[in-house]
Amino acid sequence: MKRYDLIVVGAGPAGLSAAIEAARCGMSVAVFDENTKPGGQLFKQIHKFFGSKEHQAKIRGYKIGETLLAEAADAGVEVFLNATVAGIYLDKEVLVQIGAAMEHFKADTIIIATGAAENMVTFDGWTLPGVIGAGAAQTMMNLYGIKPGQRVLMLGSGNVGLVVSFQLMQAGCEVVALVDAAPKVGGYGVHAAKIARCGVPFYLSHTITKAEGSDCVSGVEISQVDEDFAPIPGTQKHFDVDTICLAVGLSPMSQLLKMAGCNMVDDPRRGGQVPQVDENGETSIPGLFAAGDVSGIEEASSAMIQGRMSGLAAAAYLGFLSEQDKDNRLADLEIALDSLHQGMFAPGNKGKTFTKTDEGIAVSQSLLKKGYLDDADLERFIHRSDQTDEKSGIHPVIECTQNIPCNPCQDACTRGCIKVGKTITALPRIDATISCTGCGMCIASCSGQAIFLVDEDYAPGYASITLPYEFLPRPQKGELGTALSRSGQPLGHAEIIDVRSAKTFDQTTLVTIKVPVEQAMTARFYQPETNAAGQ
Amino acid sequence: MKSINDRSQDIGPFVSQTDDAIIICRCEEITKGEIRQAIHDGMFTVNEIRRYLRAGMGLCQGQTCGKLVKNLIARELNVIPDQLDPATSRSPMRPMEMKVLGNEEVSHV
Ligand SMILES: Cc1cc2nc3c(=O)[nH]c(=O)nc-3n(C[C@H](O)[C@H](O)[C@H](O)COP(=O)(O)OP(=O)(O)OC[C@H]3O[C@@H](n4cnc5c(N)ncnc54)[C@H](O)[C@@H]3O)c2cc1C
Ligand code: SF4
Ligand code: SF4
Repeated sequence: MKRYDLIVVGAGPAGLSAAIEAARCGMSVAVFDENTKPGGQLFKQIHKFFGSKEHQAKIRGYKIGETLLAEAADAGVEVFLNATVAGIYLDKEVLVQIGAAMEHFKADTIIIATGAAENMVTFDGWTLPGVIGAGAAQTMMNLYGIKPGQRVLMLGSGNVGLVVSFQLMQAGCEVVALVDAAPKVGGYGVHAAKIARCGVPFYLSHTITKAEGSDCVSGVEISQVDEDFAPIPGTQKHFDVDTICLAVGLSPMSQLLKMAGCNMVDDPRRGGQVPQVDENGETSIPGLFAAGDVSGIEEASSAMIQGRMSGLAAAAYLGFLSEQDKDNRLADLEIALDSLHQGMFAPGNKGKTFTKTDEGIAVSQSLLKKGYLDDADLERFIHRSDQTDEKSGIHPVIECTQNIPCNPCQDACTRGCIKVGKTITALPRIDATISCTGCGMCIASCSGQAIFLVDEDYAPGYASITLPYEFLPRPQKGELGTALSRSGQPLGHAEIIDVRSAKTFDQTTLVTIKVPVEQAMTARFYQPETNAAGQ
Repeated sequence: MKSINDRSQDIGPFVSQTDDAIIICRCEEITKGEIRQAIHDGMFTVNEIRRYLRAGMGLCQGQTCGKLVKNLIARELNVIPDQLDPATSRSPMRPMEMKVLGNEEVSHV
């Protein structure tokens, strides 16, 4: 038997953060993860994160993972991979399968950070090969470089469904439709807009009624649903697909906590069976903590904060940290966590319908139903602060219209053109009195790819539009292609007049297109000549 | 609140449904109809369904079908799923070979 001050189960963002904090307080820490690679979900997340600087906003998930691993190594954390925790027993004794051996460990504190598993829905043919979870698709693409299929239908319009749809297109798959039984898009509008402008149609109030095929998926049938989510006969639509992706929620993997004897509750808002915990994640068993998705489905950003809180609490529990230091440090983390728990998508607002933003602007119904802002919405949102819009020259246009916890755009513009203010869920505003240099930092920093630079006076009769582009191959200057609208409809020819990439843009390419000036406020994406968007 | 332990409650006869052939537990290939029938045979908890049919006892240990089975029971008993206990969790968490569990090929860390 080997002893540690702290054993952490799960090397995801929550577990690693907990281990780092505890080890920095002087504890001996072991982390077990059943995977061959550490990082949990983080290494699949190739997109830029939301939040604010303290939450590592605008940094891509896998980079955050790399930083955590380096910090864990520095702090002296021992990470065991291919190490499945098989059981937790009385007095914090832990049984771990490492390779082909069963090992026995004991600790004085334990933090469970085992994350969550994907939910499934059943329909005719759902067990056919080709029906996969969105997380599985993400694992195949982003960890192993395997394309899950050619033509994909996505079920689920939460952030996972939206983000993975975009990543599928980045990997070269065609996403034929995004389907959700709910009447409105569940995830962030900016994520939805990113895939709508690539031409992906949204089918809200629809569900899958059948996966077709004998040995594997060859097609899918969807139907409209009524208010009770029952399919309406006669509304079937068919798509030829080889892959059906399900992004219908996650369930906490809380079995180890239950096994240990923690008081459990069934809380649908937290995703299912979760432990009863205090504000630092301590369960009903003193010295046993839960952090991250296992104690309620949220996000990597909050999982990291919760992990750090439980790590500090564990250190204080064993006397490695004075109560006063603990309280001081926890207070800061609570503020950081609280700021993530604000806005329309806050955990406490699950299921609520908002008709107005905090600023009192009517929310875009088109964004919620079709995934993009329609022209009527633009009037309300785009000319918010700059009524004196006679300004010539280049200026940013921000299409971020929901109260989400995010503000890297504000920090990106060193000139101060963009203001979110103290409340990070406030909508970004443009200060038209400050002139924009066109540097493009705001575009590259926007996690939602919602900022564009427009110059109506580029040339007589022509406007230039600079947009974020995250597909390969990168377009070339001088290339001719098609300008697409917010709904992915072709508007006409577009000429690439500039292509910028820089280290500070972190893999986001800034593509500038020249379009007829009438399209200055409608063209929002570029499709290369030979192939469809995203291919 | 209805007591799910009241075995004398009448949940009505088993009436077949058009989608009874759909598989709910992929690992053990148990269908919706089999699970609904088991409930009408008197299996009112997830644990009982597990022992009776092996639903949730396969490779994934009920990670996929646990919620689905629970929802089926809740619907047949006309209770909300949160009122039903999930299956017992016990070691080993994951399916494991006996030779591993018995530490026959030991190479300790
Ligand atoms: C497709 C997708 C996209 C997402 N996008 C974002 C995003 O853009 N921004 C964001 O903030 N969040 C995002 N999230 C959410 C985020 O990934 C999770 O909230 C976060 O990873 C939770 O962290 P965690 O540490 O709790 O769990 P995880 O990251 O899931 O880590 C848990 C770890 O525990 C290990 N484990 C489990 N059981 C055992 C056991 N018995 N023994 C040993 N090891 C075990 C697992 O192997 C895993 O490595 C996304 C999630 C998904 C699925
Ligand atoms: S392009 Fe540069 S100067 Fe203009 S708003 Fe964006 S960050 Fe500010
Ligand atoms: S515009 Fe600002 S607040 Fe909105 S998604 Fe982009 S960076 Fe975040």
